[in-house]
Amino acid sequence: MKVLALHPDKCTGCLRCELYCSYMQTGAFQPSKSVIRVSPFEGYTSYAPYTCTQCDEGWCMTACPVGAIIITAAGAKDVIDDTCVGCKLCTIACPYGTMFYDGDTGKAYKCNLCGGAPACAEACPTQAITYEEAAMGDWIGDFAAQRTVRVLAREVA
Amino acid sequence: MAARHVIIGGGTAGLNCIRTIREEEHETSEITLVSAERPYSRMVLPYYLGETIAESHVFTATPASLAAWKVKTMIGKKAARLDTQNHAVTLDDGATVEYDDCLIATGSRAVKPPIPGADGPGVHCFWTLDEARAVIAGVTPGSRVVMVGAGFIAFTILNAILARGAKLTIVEVAPRILPRMVDADCAEIVEGWLAKHGVLLRTGATLTKIEDARGKRKLSFTKGDPIVADVIVMATGIRTNLEWLDGSGIDVATAPGGGIVVDDHLRASVKSVYAAGDVARGANLVTGAPEVHAIEPTAQEHGRVVGANMAGRDLAYRGSLVMNIVEACHLDIASFGQWDDGAAEVYTAIRRERSQYRKLLFHGGRLTGAVICGPAADIWTTNDVGMLKGLCSTGVDLSAWKSHLRQNPFDVKPAFLAARTVTRLLPESILGRPSNSPELPQSVVAR
Repeated sequence: MKVLALHPDKCTGCLRCELYCSYMQTGAFQPSKSVIRVSPFEGYTSYAPYTCTQCDEGWCMTACPVGAIIITAAGAKDVIDDTCVGCKLCTIACPYGTMFYDGDTGKAYKCNLCGGAPACAEACPTQAITYEEAAMGDWIGDFAAQRTVRVLAREVA
Repeated sequence: MAARHVIIGGGTAGLNCIRTIREEEHETSEITLVSAERPYSRMVLPYYLGETIAESHVFTATPASLAAWKVKTMIGKKAARLDTQNHAVTLDDGATVEYDDCLIATGSRAVKPPIPGADGPGVHCFWTLDEARAVIAGVTPGSRVVMVGAGFIAFTILNAILARGAKLTIVEVAPRILPRMVDADCAEIVEGWLAKHGVLLRTGATLTKIEDARGKRKLSFTKGDPIVADVIVMATGIRTNLEWLDGSGIDVATAPGGGIVVDDHLRASVKSVYAAGDVARGANLVTGAPEVHAIEPTAQEHGRVVGANMAGRDLAYRGSLVMNIVEACHLDIASFGQWDDGAAEVYTAIRRERSQYRKLLFHGGRLTGAVICGPAADIWTTNDVGMLKGLCSTGVDLSAWKSHLRQNPFDVKPAFLAARTVTRLLPESILGRPSNSPELPQSVVAR
């Protein structure tokens, strides 16, 4: 199964992924509506994108009281808008912090891999986000640990 | 002969159990569902009240879907007696169902305070679908509604009552709102927010009686003026439905919170009997202590673990995290784990002007609880809620981050990522395998 692989060393922080994602997901070029999020590190000198892992448990899916979250042909967990009531239970069930809620529609939404052609990967000019056959991994953990050493050292001192 | 499973209770625990049996079993077993009501989700009744969904939307199973799942149903009947010697359940109409194993998932019911007038007309609970229908009929535009109780249940229907155009007053016996979900500082922020949104609040108010006053309801208190209302909604607590088990030999705890004593497979004290959901005294994920959570996510996990075990797996249950989220007038309020732990190291931050609050509780390097509150429009509130759940549930070591989090309780994401919480989370699953989509499993479709 193809997964979204994230390569933070290649991320420039251009936020094109957030623009493309928000447009695909909500029809608005609005990073605040994107379901992929770029985090800055080391005083905005390095960046890492982060999004849903489409985890095996599917915490959002198993928590949904009305069965509004399903697995798509692309292997993504996706919210069926007409079934979602907006109770937000998925937002506390997801331990990754990758469920979103659209205040304009009153529905939860999330990364659905754009039906198998993720806009974020297409938008990324540096291949920091790729859609490929791979095992899902913790793409950001080591990068985040390395890039926060200095900030932590300063605070402890 | 195929195994005969009897599921008593058609709520979240019962239906998740049925689904999981069908997903896990190798040959089709006989499943009988005994349920006092048609299966529906209590979680979504507030949206029915608020008219954003139709009544048909609340049902989690229909006669057709239960038939497709090959479930024999005894709906509208209550279990009255459990004969654990002869492996039989007797129903309230005298019928008897034999089982090879059974699940007790009879849930809870709403309780009213024992005061004069509480059972009179115009005084409703909001727990069952029938009760929801009664509240819907009573709460009309311009009507004055008094909600007695300011706990989680009250907050889940607050938006809907306002959306119906009613004027809402909340009265609470405790000195503050949400006493079992958030701490006093967070409660103060929520109270201020509600006041700004036109909800009247009276805390520390002990209701003494309800009288009829020319067709309206008059509520009297130990102190302060009486309040006159068109409709009263009692959100004064719930009680587990366990009385029917008297004499069954099933071990029920007398400790606070009660509940059926279960082992790590959610087996009750009597062979071939399981318990799940509000009636089960399952483990707390953070502390390991047995307790009744009476929340939807715990019922779902219990139900699935029992289903796997009934289908022949040997699946231990590691425990569930206490968690709640509610949105009131576009303010998100959530708490996780042991948020009220006096022995924990506590970091808090308040931004009163933004109605934002964070509370992080630690034991050593481990986050054991959290409270989070902020406007739903603040994007990070929603994501932080999830990350705090991940930190609490995995118990990753945050020792290196404590100093940062003490100074910046709002800045959770770098700690979440750098602690490699994702690495810890990826292999996790309740059933030890990937979960299935909610549609019928292929195994059932093919049969």
